Amino acid sequence: MSEKKKQLIISISREYGAGGHLIAQILAEKLGLELVDADSIARYFADNHNFNYDEVMKYSGKPFNRIIHRTIQGHTSTLEENLSRMQFDYLREKAANGDSFVIVGRCSETVLEDYDCMIAFFILADEEDKVKRVMEREGLNEYDARHTARAGTWNHKSYHNYYCKGKWGDSRLYDVCINSSRFGPEKTADILENYINEYLNS
Amino acid sequence: MNISQVMALLIFVVMFILIITEVVERYQATLLAAFATIIVVFLLCMHSTKIVWDVISIRDLVHGEFWYAPGHGTAENGGINWATIIFLAGMMVMVEAMARSGFFRFICLALAKLVHYKPTRLLVIFMLMSAALSMFIDSITVVLFLASVTVELTNLLGMDPIPMIIAEIFCSNLGGAATMCGDPPNIIIGTELGYSFGDFLVNTGVISLAALVLAVLFFYFSLRKQLVVHNTAPGEAGHIEYPDPKSAIKDRKGFFRSWTIFAIAVLLLVTHSQTGLTVATIGVLIAAITLVFAENQAMKLLKTIDYRTLLFFVGLFVVVGGLEQTGLLSVIAGVIAKLSGGNIYLTVAIILWISAICSGFVDNIPFAATMVPIIESLSASLGIPLSTLAWTLSIGTDFGGNATPIGASANVVGISIAAKNGHLISWSKYCRYAIPATIITVATGMVMIYLIHC
Repeated sequence: MSEKKKQLIISISREYGAGGHLIAQILAEKLGLELVDADSIARYFADNHNFNYDEVMKYSGKPFNRIIHRTIQGHTSTLEENLSRMQFDYLREKAANGDSFVIVGRCSETVLEDYDCMIAFFILADEEDKVKRVMEREGLNEYDARHTARAGTWNHKSYHNYYCKGKWGDSRLYDVCINSSRFGPEKTADILENYINEYLNS
Repeated sequence: MNISQVMALLIFVVMFILIITEVVERYQATLLAAFATIIVVFLLCMHSTKIVWDVISIRDLVHGEFWYAPGHGTAENGGINWATIIFLAGMMVMVEAMARSGFFRFICLALAKLVHYKPTRLLVIFMLMSAALSMFIDSITVVLFLASVTVELTNLLGMDPIPMIIAEIFCSNLGGAATMCGDPPNIIIGTELGYSFGDFLVNTGVISLAALVLAVLFFYFSLRKQLVVHNTAPGEAGHIEYPDPKSAIKDRKGFFRSWTIFAIAVLLLVTHSQTGLTVATIGVLIAAITLVFAENQAMKLLKTIDYRTLLFFVGLFVVVGGLEQTGLLSVIAGVIAKLSGGNIYLTVAIILWISAICSGFVDNIPFAATMVPIIESLSASLGIPLSTLAWTLSIGTDFGGNATPIGASANVVGISIAAKNGHLISWSKYCRYAIPATIITVATGMVMIYLIHC
């Protein structure tokens, strides 16, 4: 009889271009866990809740204009907020089902804070490394990549800080904050895997 | 402008920014602003405790006329409009009891069955029902149930519910404009200026009816090609299992009780200028009847009253009282009078279109509350009948709220219900239909006000 695996949730928050998604992918693969990211969530919503995949991708995980937004008795006019809250519910439901997974973003370190089995990492990187990664990944010139990296990081921050009391990037929200520029994403993933294994063996 | 006017305006602007940005909840914004108005404007700048008491208006509650005013309705004297607050609280209790009994879902499903679930007929009947129910019940509740049933039925039919939901939202706001109790701006206008339910019905009611006919035609011709059933081949409609209207009834006794209490509420409202019962009294009576017959559910119903909305009104009235008491609203009225040159047509056009455009983007409740003293002042200075300006303001604020996703509460709720069911209504999707329809209805309102009242 195989022993039932301990539930494990890895939350990865990241600066734009810091390699957080790549680290999440490596960890998911090494630990044999499901990777939950914008794409997989959009697919889930499209397959199970009538949503259009492209629309979910367009409005998910994004901040929105607070001026053209209204909330009435818990209902909101903003598609970004409606989708975000549904995604938070989806994560809570998944965690409550006992699922183990690696989740990228979605304010997961706060949404799933009640789960002791959740380990939260925050991945940052040096500016030049972020720009280089964005240039390679998105085929942009240096100027555009720098702008995209800054705007992307600002988006992550605004999105998080609208829904959560704790501030994005505040070390107190995470188990480990790590600069991926020091050793590169692969080695950073190894370090984080060791941390996770220590937790699992404790 | 003197210092008290500057401070009152500053507080009002900060309150509006807080409401729009939702940095704090909107009731917190108005209460904070009310507190600041009392301390800074009334006590520190104007050195008057009398004004504080006048604005709080608690004395109104012990006046016989507040509860019973035979003949014509009584006008509030500025400050906190307790009649509006009490009436809204009473209606909240009644509507909650109706919702719990399955009243709204039953009506939606029964009407859908009546038109044999044919898409275009469904569109028209739901638009008409949305308008009719919103004449007496808050549009949030109407759209909440209607949008949910629309999504459910269109999913069964394989149709896109978005155009229908937009049409229902639109008609809900048109219906709300028809009566004194349909939309909060109308309750404020009616109670502040002493108009009755009947006054609204024969003035804004007629305009709303004309606008509704045009809206139905607009949406019918815009949407008929989109309302295509995908789930069934011709002749197979019988294979879809539609929800039985009777299944909506959760509590048979409560259901019939809801119908009865709703009928009593409508009767009391329609006849209130004859019976002399004010809207405050009707609110208390309806809540009392609902609670007495709710038996062990009474406490639960009381707990569902949206106290935040009521507190929002309390704070708002104090802040608007600050603008009024300092004479700032008379200054604004003077500017409008100067712009219009005393021409009634121009004055009506300015109030109507400014109200409509503003209501498309900001909450129309604070807007209407602020505009009421302005139109009173305009009427007195230009000699234009107050009723003409009152109906203009009502039509402008109520119809204008249709233009954007954030213009009115019903819009927000409809969009939210659609989103939760997988149908995302973006600004462009919403405005594609709503802006032309809003322009048509507001223009219709203007022409009718010109023809009937000028």
